[in-house]
Amino acid sequence: MKPRDVFSYSFSAIKLRKLRAGLTTLGVVIGIAAIVALLSITQGLQDSITRQLQTGFATDTLIVSTGGGFGAGIGGRTGADSGFRLLINYTQMINGLSPNITTSIAIIQRAGFIKSGNMTRVTTIVGVDFAEYSDIYSSTFVNETGNIPLIPTNETVVVGKRISDPWKNGTLFCSVDDDVEIKWTNATNPFQPLNETYTGHVAAVLKEIGGFGVGPSDSTVYIPISKAESFFGTDECDMIIVKLKNDDKATIDSVSEAIKEAFSKQVSVTSATAVLNILSSVFSVIELFLGGIAAISLLVAGIGIMNIMIVSLMERTREIGILKALGMKSQTVLLVFLSESVIIGLMGAAIGIASGWVLANVVAIVFRGGGMFMGGNQAAAGAGAGGMTITPVLTPTVFLGALVFGIGVSVIFALYPAWRASKLKPVEALRYE
Amino acid sequence: MTAIVEAVNLKKTYMLGKVPVEALRGVNLKVESGDFLAVLGPSGSGKSTLLNLIGALDKPTEGKLLIEGVDVSTLNDNQLADLRRRIGFVFQFFNLIPRFTARENVELSMSIADIGRAERRKQAEDLLETVGLKERMNHKPAELSGGEQQRVAIARALANTPRFLLMDEPTGNIDSKTANEIMGLIKRLNEEKGVTIIMVTHDQRLATQAKRTVQMFDGVITMEIVN
Repeated sequence: MKPRDVFSYSFSAIKLRKLRAGLTTLGVVIGIAAIVALLSITQGLQDSITRQLQTGFATDTLIVSTGGGFGAGIGGRTGADSGFRLLINYTQMINGLSPNITTSIAIIQRAGFIKSGNMTRVTTIVGVDFAEYSDIYSSTFVNETGNIPLIPTNETVVVGKRISDPWKNGTLFCSVDDDVEIKWTNATNPFQPLNETYTGHVAAVLKEIGGFGVGPSDSTVYIPISKAESFFGTDECDMIIVKLKNDDKATIDSVSEAIKEAFSKQVSVTSATAVLNILSSVFSVIELFLGGIAAISLLVAGIGIMNIMIVSLMERTREIGILKALGMKSQTVLLVFLSESVIIGLMGAAIGIASGWVLANVVAIVFRGGGMFMGGNQAAAGAGAGGMTITPVLTPTVFLGALVFGIGVSVIFALYPAWRASKLKPVEALRYE
Repeated sequence: MTAIVEAVNLKKTYMLGKVPVEALRGVNLKVESGDFLAVLGPSGSGKSTLLNLIGALDKPTEGKLLIEGVDVSTLNDNQLADLRRRIGFVFQFFNLIPRFTARENVELSMSIADIGRAERRKQAEDLLETVGLKERMNHKPAELSGGEQQRVAIARALANTPRFLLMDEPTGNIDSKTANEIMGLIKRLNEEKGVTIIMVTHDQRLATQAKRTVQMFDGVITMEIVN
């Protein structure tokens, strides 16, 4: 029997029991749709986060922090356990460690408040050297209004876009030339916390960045490092950003090693590339996990296919007897049943991929509408806020994988009933009532 | 004349649970090209078992069954399927595929034999014309009378130009008037087109329409009559 005739015969059998075939196909549709939706959303989320991190990070920089590395650094100041203190003036020593280092700057940051008129907002106050910070983050630490002074006065304040325009509706919290009150709570003595305050002058509002990571952010207030030292009463910094001549792996590795050695391994050195790699592997695990959960529903669909095929086999025993009496070979009977499962799998996978894609986009729109807003007050690292949108991504691998998986599950679960059908003895099948 | 079918001491034993049942107990038979043989016998005489063996639907337990000189018991599953394509079956209950039209049912056996779409469509129409059913070829079995369904079954059996036709009580499920018409058709196929026919029946009157009749009883041939 020609393959086309086998498919045509199988299709006629499916057409005869439309409702049953439809419900069986629905099982595959749900399984595949779940896989496609979850994987394309995860992929979209990963792309979005990576893109935003790449905006926030500069790939040719290293972050030197105390204690447990960048992750710990984000949570706040660490290193107290070992007694090691990362001082602001270590930047000079770091600059001399390798010819591959262009410059390095210290960053002090604290959770605090900014008051303008009678409104107060929670923010992150970051003390940096404006000139060098502009140099390292030349694409993000850029003024939209006003000017970022390279030699600032003690009162100079630069604010992120979301500090100036937090509601995105034109009503400004503060703007250039406004006087604002900068405040933080010094809890060095937890029994007697002190509120420290000074009045600053807004010199510039940054352009909207949108990303997040180590680097300028939309919801941060920037003050000169010298002012931060006196205001926060410390000569210790939270991290030192080291700018390299290039972002080659060899350069990153050699400079990282040199810095660690110089500080007797009491510091952690993290590169943006390493963070992105970690993120990528985390997402791979998430994808595998979510894909696995969705695959379970497809297995349930597979059992449904097997069940329906066995019922079909019993109903069509006599028909199989007729086919065999007409000279159909056992392997052709096997193919007839398997092609029924291929048709169900193919239809289920095709509809499932389309439904999954629609579902992923609906979820993305819901997220967008609900304002999946990564941000607010980031306690440290200047990891700031930006509205994050997810654009689901259906990669060719996920598309083909879903198609193959849908058909594969259908065929695998149809193998046993198909094999049983092919092994029926014609004389017994013809006698079957 | 060469024997198309030759059975030598043919035996078939079934297991009914744990009890062996001897359906055939040594049948000797020869059918030659152009013959029209009726196998007559009461229910349980072994005539259907003999038909199943000749039709390569089953294998003998003992003895030899030669179809066109080839011993059936030496053939594997695929070879038996190939052999069945050269045999035309007509069953008592028609055994048509209900979802197919008359023409599609006739085409099915040609499709199994790998015949192309256009050719099998033309042949199916010709065969349905031969059995006088061209006008009803686009009807499904449920829309046809018993006699018409059996005509379709005969047309299907004639597809692939079989070496012989095997008929199991071909008029057993239709009224007597239609049965006469069907018998007339069967006789014409044998006499005019030279189709070899082996027909199983329990009806003495039908058996007399054949050229030869063998009488079966308790799994053996007890008598042979030339009509």
